[in-house]
Amino acid sequence: MRIGLVLPAIPAYSETFFRSKISGLVVNGHEVVLFVNGETMETHYCGARVVSSFSTQGNSILLLLRAKVTLFVLLVSHSKTVFRFVKSERKEHTPWLTLISRLLLNAALLSERLDWLHFGFATMALGREHVAEAIGAKMAVSFRGFDYYVYPIKNSGCYSKLWSKTVRYHVLSESMKLGLISYGIPDSSIFIIPPAIDTAFFSPHPAFQPNKSLQILTIGRLHWIKGLDYTLEALALLHLKGVAFHYTIIGTGQEEERLRFTAHQLGIDPFVTFAGKQSSEYIKKQLEQTDVYVQYSIQEGFGNAVLEAQAMGVYCIVSDAEGLEENVMHGNTGSVVPKRNPKALADGIKAFLGIAAIEKVKSSEQAIARVKRDFSVEKQELKFKAFYENS
Amino acid sequence: MKVALYTGELPPPVFIDRLIQGLAKEGVELILFGAMKKKVSYAFPTITVVGYRGKMHKSWQLFKYTVLLLLFKAKAKKKLDKILDQQERSGTLQKLKCYPVLYHQPDVFHLQWAKSIGDWMWVQEFGMKLVLSARGTHLTISPKVYPKYAESYALHFSKVDAFHTVSKAIAKEVVSYGVSPELIHVGYSGLNLKDFAFKVKAASAKKIHILSIGRAHWVKGYSYAIEAMCLLKKEQVSFSYTIIGLDANEELLFLRAQSGLEGCIQFEPYLSSDEVLEAIQQADVLLLPSVEEGIANVVLEAMALGTVVVTTACGGMTEVVTDGVNGFVVPVRDPKAIAAALVKVSELALEDYQRMSKAARSTIEKNFTEQQMVAAMQKLYQSLETQA
Repeated sequence: MRIGLVLPAIPAYSETFFRSKISGLVVNGHEVVLFVNGETMETHYCGARVVSSFSTQGNSILLLLRAKVTLFVLLVSHSKTVFRFVKSERKEHTPWLTLISRLLLNAALLSERLDWLHFGFATMALGREHVAEAIGAKMAVSFRGFDYYVYPIKNSGCYSKLWSKTVRYHVLSESMKLGLISYGIPDSSIFIIPPAIDTAFFSPHPAFQPNKSLQILTIGRLHWIKGLDYTLEALALLHLKGVAFHYTIIGTGQEEERLRFTAHQLGIDPFVTFAGKQSSEYIKKQLEQTDVYVQYSIQEGFGNAVLEAQAMGVYCIVSDAEGLEENVMHGNTGSVVPKRNPKALADGIKAFLGIAAIEKVKSSEQAIARVKRDFSVEKQELKFKAFYENS
Repeated sequence: MKVALYTGELPPPVFIDRLIQGLAKEGVELILFGAMKKKVSYAFPTITVVGYRGKMHKSWQLFKYTVLLLLFKAKAKKKLDKILDQQERSGTLQKLKCYPVLYHQPDVFHLQWAKSIGDWMWVQEFGMKLVLSARGTHLTISPKVYPKYAESYALHFSKVDAFHTVSKAIAKEVVSYGVSPELIHVGYSGLNLKDFAFKVKAASAKKIHILSIGRAHWVKGYSYAIEAMCLLKKEQVSFSYTIIGLDANEELLFLRAQSGLEGCIQFEPYLSSDEVLEAIQQADVLLLPSVEEGIANVVLEAMALGTVVVTTACGGMTEVVTDGVNGFVVPVRDPKAIAAALVKVSELALEDYQRMSKAARSTIEKNFTEQQMVAAMQKLYQSLETQA
């Protein structure tokens, strides 16, 4: 099968999810074409051919010239496809100018012959809803969190065209599936494939000893969605109660100033480290020294870092935001506390301090076993194989 | 005495513009430098504007001032070039910023933004007095988060001739960098009371209308306000909450949707100043949920107009509002306290509401008028004359 995967950019090394998915498909004998935005120097990635979409960067005169050439080549070489695409767009009264820009942006996709056209994020499918039909491919769309929970709030009705198409949906969690069903998507078109992690790399540290001062870790972008200000407030409450801790946040992002100031104003800045963006090796090392991993997001599709922490046997305390509730089994592999409620998180961490050592070991073992069983790269590969192959 | 009020950009922000016009009315000779976003003109002959705009105009201004300096102040130019060179700031943009200042050589160079203090220390080398207005986030946030600012302030502040601060709280911050308190003049921001007519509330509403005003920035603490609204909803308080100054802020839209408060919270983009005044008058309470502020102008405006305020105790806000007397004060980052204060406002008997709003108006009349703001600044400039 020829599978086209549309992503914003070539996945970073840490994005195990995409890497393993693509190489798994290639190993299983499928041909994968990776479509990314803008220019890229790469021609291949994990056995997939890389194609970049029409770039709107650069000198405006050259841009115009490139646009004309691209359109001309597309019209000559794929006239039937273009005709079908234009017909579908015009049926919806898309203005000609918008239509031409869509033709340009989708030129790379319209020039391919594929069995499946898979949009790696639902937002990548916007303005491209008719492409699969035009090239005679089946259409697949992944929902990963932000595109499902956040984007439509600001862009109400953005997926109405998508809902009207025959699409196979990939979601990360049961709660996302239920959400899609509520939009009228048939159960049989929705496949839950949770993220996978490299369990060989994120393996438990045999000689872990609990720290005297509680070592707490969060990995994530410094973005409001991660609920880091609520986390800092919870830690301030613990500080007031005399709990000794050190909190490390690995990640960068636009909210750094806000979070640093929050830590300062709450008087806990000496106990908080903003470690910035770090390598997988650093992350693994940090996890090996961590007593409790916290992911107190306001919204989370699933939470790969939480899986990595569990794979290493680190106790996880997470919010009940969407996917996280399915990521951690409350009372079994970690704990789940109500979101947007610093006191609830502080209580959760205090409760962790009271758990007997033997119980912690048991929960850690359960977490390790569950991640290995349910979130391995091999399992993900099988699920994606079925996703494309089942008719 | 010729004073350069330096904001770097023209037109200056509204609150600085009010000061400029107030000083001009009192006959202070002013000169304004900066990059022009749009054309700036004043009705006062005592205000000189030296701006630059667009590539051509910038090149012309640089050429003009280079020639003028070479003709009339060649020695000074050489000295300034050497200083800029030492600071690795000899690019054309820096020269465009500095040459006009050197040529016009005001008696006082009054810088409005602390972060750029290091760029302007040189004016003292040419006999200009350097005054710094210590405002809001430049003192309360930047140096706490980025050590480079704290280091710059520690290095330069002690050499500045005088400081103007917008609150006593910020004056304390300035002192912490080794500045002698005598050099600091607290000058509150002030309103032209003719523009803010007091209107006493005639009836108390069943449903409480809460209003916040300000740009979408984390410092405004709107997420705490939304958490407080969740608590009000839980307690079945009948309310509506409007935030003016926000347009499609993703975080707040999400929090509102997740809390199921779409029906009770409205976000309004930018409104004209008249519309804002009307909105304040129609609201039952103005809420300032900020985590940090100098002294928020909207609170002064609401107090002048007769709308009761609930403010966090951030920055200099407690220098304006006394809890339970002329408004309500709550701790920062405390949704529960915000909700409780809003409930208190909703439960005020009409006469208590009126008493509180009258007390608020008299606070403004006593300490926060434009005349006082202008007089304080004149006094500061005069103190430099006696220093000289």
